[in-house]
Amino acid sequence: MDPTLARAAAFINHLLSNPALNSLNPLKKEEQILQFLKTNAQSLVPTLTSPQFFSGLAWNQILQLLYTALVQETDKVLRPQLEELIRRKISFSFTSRIQPHRIPEDQCRQQMWELTQRLLQKPEARKSLVGPVTAIVNDLVGRYLEESFKDRQYVHFELTKVQRLRLGIEDIKHMIHATMLLRPSIQLFSEGGGSRGEGVESVLVRPQFAATAFDSMRAQLQIVPPGLLRGGLYSNVSFEEDKQIDATARLAAIFSSRGKNYKPIARVDRGANSPDRSWFSITRRNHKHYGFDIKMLDEFYKIASESGW
Amino acid sequence: MSDSKSTVKSAQQRSNGRSVIAFLESLVIAAILLALVQTFLEDYAVLSGWNVDLRNKLLLAGFFFDLFFTIEFLVRFYYALMGRRVGRYLTLERGWIDFLASIPLLMFNSGPFALTLLTGSGIALGLGGLLNLLKVIKAIRIARILRFLRIIKIFRKIKNVSSPMAQRHVASITAISVTVMVLCLLFFTFFSSTLQFNGLDTAFSAQAQATADYLADKTNDPADFVLSLETLKETRVNLLIVKYRGQTLFSRYSNDYYSQYFAPGDYSYLSRDELELFFDQRAYVSQLSRESILFFVIVVLIVLAYLLIYSPHFALTITDPIHVMRRGLEETDYNLEVKVPKRYHTDDVFELAKLYNEKYLPLKDRTRNQEGESLIQFDPAAVSRILPEEEDS
Repeated sequence: MDPTLARAAAFINHLLSNPALNSLNPLKKEEQILQFLKTNAQSLVPTLTSPQFFSGLAWNQILQLLYTALVQETDKVLRPQLEELIRRKISFSFTSRIQPHRIPEDQCRQQMWELTQRLLQKPEARKSLVGPVTAIVNDLVGRYLEESFKDRQYVHFELTKVQRLRLGIEDIKHMIHATMLLRPSIQLFSEGGGSRGEGVESVLVRPQFAATAFDSMRAQLQIVPPGLLRGGLYSNVSFEEDKQIDATARLAAIFSSRGKNYKPIARVDRGANSPDRSWFSITRRNHKHYGFDIKMLDEFYKIASESGW
Repeated sequence: MSDSKSTVKSAQQRSNGRSVIAFLESLVIAAILLALVQTFLEDYAVLSGWNVDLRNKLLLAGFFFDLFFTIEFLVRFYYALMGRRVGRYLTLERGWIDFLASIPLLMFNSGPFALTLLTGSGIALGLGGLLNLLKVIKAIRIARILRFLRIIKIFRKIKNVSSPMAQRHVASITAISVTVMVLCLLFFTFFSSTLQFNGLDTAFSAQAQATADYLADKTNDPADFVLSLETLKETRVNLLIVKYRGQTLFSRYSNDYYSQYFAPGDYSYLSRDELELFFDQRAYVSQLSRESILFFVIVVLIVLAYLLIYSPHFALTITDPIHVMRRGLEETDYNLEVKVPKRYHTDDVFELAKLYNEKYLPLKDRTRNQEGESLIQFDPAAVSRILPEEEDS
C-alpha cells in the first residue's frame, strides 16, 4: 500500500476505534468521521500538514486521501453486510406478485446488488444509503406496519386499496425495504458534489426529474420490476407536488429519513417523550419541508405514542 | 523528574484525603440514622416500661451521639474558620442546624443525664422544689426535639446528580418546615407557664405539694398522722415512699423494684421539716414520651412526604422539562420533545416547553443537516500521537 495512504488509513482507523461510534453501523460511522473532519478542519490542518503526517500536501489533497482511506475501511465491513442484506435478508418473492409476469428472484437480487455497488462509488449516494440501511437493519418499518394493519387506518387503506397490493405484511415490508435501497439511485443523476464526501445527500427532486431518471434506470435495470423502481425514485419527490406517489414510496421516504436520524438510546431522559414519538411529532411539523404524507406521519405518531416508542 | 514525583505524590495525597472525607461523611450519615433510631427507642422504652438498665444504656448512647455531633460541628466550624467561610457554613451550608442539633443537646439534655448516671447522683435533676424539677425534666426532654433537626442534615449528603436544583429546593423547604415546627414546640413549651397554659405538670406538682402539706400538718398528732397516711396510701397512687425522722413509714414497692424500674426523673422528692416524700412521676414522663413520639412521627412523615411526594412533583414540573430543554439547546443531536402533562399544561414551564417542542425543535431539525456535529470529540494531542506510534511499530 502507498505509504501516504497507509498513514491516512492509520489515522482513519484510529478515529473509527473511538468508543463513541461503537453502536453505529459502518455508514453512520463514516458519516460521523466526515462530519468530524469537516467541523475540525481548522484545528486539524496544522497537525496533518506537518512533516510528521502529510507533508507537502494541500488540505484538499489530504481530505481526498482521508476520504479514500475511509471508504476503503468502511467498505471492508459494509459490503459484506449489504450483500447479506440483499442476498439473504430481503425477500424478493413479492416481485412476481406486483406485476403480471414472473421475475427470477436471483437475477433481481443480482441487479439490486450491482446497483448498490454502483451507489457505493458515489459520495452523495453513499450518504443517502445511511437512512435506508439503518432503517432496514433496525426493522423500523416492520413494527409500524404491523400496528397499521391491526388498526386498518390510512396506511393500510393506501397500501391495499389505493396501491392495490395483494401482499402480506412481510412482503410489503420487504417491498418497502427494496424501495428504500433504490431510493439513493436518484443521486446517480445528480451533479457530483465532490470526491471527498462533502456532497449534499438526498434533497427533493421535481417529478419531471424523477420521471427522466426512471426512464433511464428502467433501461439499465430490466429485471427489477418497474413499479418497484418507480417507487424508489419517486420517493425523492415531495408528496405535496405529486399526490399520486405510491404508498410504498411515501413510506420508504419517511422511514429512510427516520433511519437517518435514528440513534439507539439506552435510556430516555425523565421528562422527555420517547424517541420515535418525538421524531414523528417534529417531522409532522416539517412535513412540507421534507415532502412527507402528513396523514401517514399522524398515524405513526399515534402508534409511537400509544406504544411508547 | 522530582517535579513529576511530587505531583504524583500530591495527587495521591489528594485522593487519600478524598477517601477519608468520603468515609467520614458516610460515618456521619450512619450516625444520624442510628441517632434517630435511638431517639425513638428512648421514648418507646419509657412507654413500654423497659427496665432501667436498658433505658440507661439508651440514654448513654444518646450522650455519645450528641458528643459525636458536637465534635462534628466543631471540626466543620474549625475548617470553615480556617477557610474564612464561617458565614457561608453557618447559613448556606446549614451549619446552624449542625450547631442546634449538637451543643445545646449535649449541654441541656444528654450531658446532665449522663452526669447523673456516671456520678450516681441526682445533681442534674435538681434537688430543689418539685415544680422546678418537673420544669427541668420538661426542658431537658423538649430540648431533645432539636434532635429532629438532624434529619435535615441528611439532605446535605444526598447527591441527586441529575438535579441539584431539585435537591436544594426540597432540602430548603424541608429545613424550613422542620425548623418552624421545632421552634414552635420549643417556644410553646418554654413560654407555656408565662402564657398561663397550665398542663399536667402544674396539676401534678400542685397535688404533690398539697399531699406533703397535709401530712406535715398531721405530724403533731401521731394517731391522726397514721390514719391520714393509710388513706393517702389508697388514694394517692403516685405516693411512693414516706419517711419521718429518717425512718421509712411507707413504701409502695420493694427496693429491688425501685432500682429496676425507676430511672432518674421517674420519681420526685419533697420534704417538709423531718417529713420526706417520694412521688411516682412515670405517668408524667410517659405523657412527655408520647408527645415526643408524636412529634417524631410528624417530623419523619413531613420529611418523607417532601422526599416521596413533593420531590418527584418538583422534578416532574420543574427540573425534568428544564433538563430536556437544556440538552436540546446544547446538543446538536438531541431532539427529544418535552413531555407535557395535560393537567400542568398551563404552567409557565410547560408553556415554554410547548414553544420548544413546536417551534424550536422543528426549526432545529430543518437546520441540523447543515450544522451537524460529530460524536467524536476533537483532541489535538491525541491526533498528533497517532502516526509516530504507527511508524515506531
